[in-house]
Amino acid sequence: MKTLLMTGVLLALSGAGAVKVGVLLPLSGAGSVSGQAAKNGYQLALDEINRAGGVLGKPLELEFADDGSAPAKAVPEFVKLVTVEKVDFMAGGVSSATSIAVSGPAKQYGTFMAWIGAAAVPVEDAFADHPYFFHYHPWSYYNFEAILGYFKYLKTYKKAKTIAIAYEDGPFGSAGIDATVDAFRKAGFNVVMTEKFKTGSGNFGPLVSKAKAAKPDILYWVGYDTDALPLATEIKQQNLQLGLLYGTPPSWPVGFEKNSLSDNVAGLSLWLSTSPNKDSRTFVAAYKKKYGTVTDEYFAPLAYVNLKTLAAAINRAGTTDKAKVAAEMAKTNVSTPFGQLTFSPSLKTKYQGFKAGNWLHFQYLGDARVPVFPIKFAQKPMVYGK
Amino acid sequence: MDLFVQTLVNGLLQSGLYALVASGLALAVGVVGIVNFAHGEYLMIGAFLAWAGSAFLGVDPLLSLPVIAVAVFAIGALTYRVSIRHVLLAPELNQMLLTFGLGILLQNLALMLLGGNTRTVTTPYQASSLQLGDLSVGGPKALAFGLAALLLGALYVVLYRTTLGRQMRAVAQNRRGAQLIGIDVDRVYLIAFGVSCALAAVAGVLVSVLLFASPTVGLVFALKAFAIIVMAGLGNLTGVLWASVLLGVSEALVQTYVPGGGGWSDAVFFLMIFGTLVLRSFRGAR
Repeated sequence: MKTLLMTGVLLALSGAGAVKVGVLLPLSGAGSVSGQAAKNGYQLALDEINRAGGVLGKPLELEFADDGSAPAKAVPEFVKLVTVEKVDFMAGGVSSATSIAVSGPAKQYGTFMAWIGAAAVPVEDAFADHPYFFHYHPWSYYNFEAILGYFKYLKTYKKAKTIAIAYEDGPFGSAGIDATVDAFRKAGFNVVMTEKFKTGSGNFGPLVSKAKAAKPDILYWVGYDTDALPLATEIKQQNLQLGLLYGTPPSWPVGFEKNSLSDNVAGLSLWLSTSPNKDSRTFVAAYKKKYGTVTDEYFAPLAYVNLKTLAAAINRAGTTDKAKVAAEMAKTNVSTPFGQLTFSPSLKTKYQGFKAGNWLHFQYLGDARVPVFPIKFAQKPMVYGK
Repeated sequence: MDLFVQTLVNGLLQSGLYALVASGLALAVGVVGIVNFAHGEYLMIGAFLAWAGSAFLGVDPLLSLPVIAVAVFAIGALTYRVSIRHVLLAPELNQMLLTFGLGILLQNLALMLLGGNTRTVTTPYQASSLQLGDLSVGGPKALAFGLAALLLGALYVVLYRTTLGRQMRAVAQNRRGAQLIGIDVDRVYLIAFGVSCALAAVAGVLVSVLLFASPTVGLVFALKAFAIIVMAGLGNLTGVLWASVLLGVSEALVQTYVPGGGGWSDAVFFLMIFGTLVLRSFRGAR
């Protein structure tokens, strides 16, 4: 009995004063592939941080919560982490819709947010006046800048002239769609179709029929992993002839690369496991050692970088005081699997991490995601269908 | 004109999937009167079993379909024995709450055991289609439509031409009366609920081929299946097919011809439930 009591007291003491980071992720629902990948990245970073002595001399603690990819679930989970679990900092955040939803409580409690996802501009608006909001993922206009660069290349070298756009009707797909259409038009493209769809419905028959009538060179879709296979299937079934099917889901379905319907489907990624960058190779080796497999989901290294930089900033600050940690975070200048990470202002927020220059365009070629643009990073020539 | 005809074909093909999901629910809710809000979760189990058979054993989902149907029949029968049976005599609200809870339980069990990832199945016929000039008829969806028509036909034959079917209808009409004339009511409920779950699983197998398997895949289809059986009228099996076609084609027309129609397609079935109920009450009042 005495031993049990002593063990309990020691355990309680070892945890006392430890820095706690709450991690809100979509571990289920539409964004779960990204959420699961991010969770793996966080756990890998946690192992390394605690092996190296932890944070402020104690092992760092993570409290994971599942936002279910739904704003209605995200808010109570967020509030619970902040008020019941009393976490010192919040990390995570993949979906734009859930991030907008938690912006209210985040401001109410003055929560320190080291946020990895949520690219939609309304999230930037929601956190514009938040003094402790560090955003790692490029905003959608940075993503779009990269996409436009690639499409301009296709226009010059592959004679792509017409674009059809299919976008999911949530904030992720819909925010800024008018600006997207305008930008394509300004770049000299003819936007022949702009259509909404319900993510996860799998009902792409009418949309593809409309696209077929519009005869686009590029079909650009903005949705989630659940939409990838049904859309590719419908395109094949209706024999829609495209130069390129290009998508920007935050993640892709598990095993999609093994399906022949994924052949030549193109997408955007902040990172691929084949990246020759030294930090990327180190990350891939560590990930493989821990999980016995390799991932191509960029939310895994993004979460890894997120926690490592947050822990480093707290250690440099020597305290959990938000203002002091924010000041140290702002000085971050480290090499990462994505390239150099520094924080600088975006259009509306004060601390923006990665921007347009970090994106890679890939195609599913031979059961793998292969970088095809920018040309200097291309490992194989791109396949253009027209 | 081509676009219009293709839109009708798209709607018709989508309706096959809806009819397949609704057929099981029509049996449970419409015929024997068990309001099963967990119907979509039995579809999800079928989808995951098809995915597992394909990913781990290399078995084509269509080949594993009969085995999955039998397995999910057993799961449905077990569910009936341990839970639903005990609330059959209670007010309907208890039944609804129980099956609603069952749905949440099954969904969360899937999340805990399998994670929330989207799983896809690879088959050689996944993108097969029949090209008729500019028209395209997707293979798996056409198969779903044929299967739905076949299953609804078979259900109709069972209900109106066999002893078991008569027993089911008798139990649905008057449980106590059926008991008095010697029908084993418990057995009839068990079979009806098991078959309903098995039919959901059959739809799940097709959903895994056409879309994906995930813990939440059943929800959208179950909601639409409820809309269909309301439109068809409870207990009207042949009406299920027509109601599915009406829903599928209406959605396709809205998606194609209404500006931003993709975002409105989910409103179609709510509108149809609303319209049907208002029309029925109006007729009833007259």
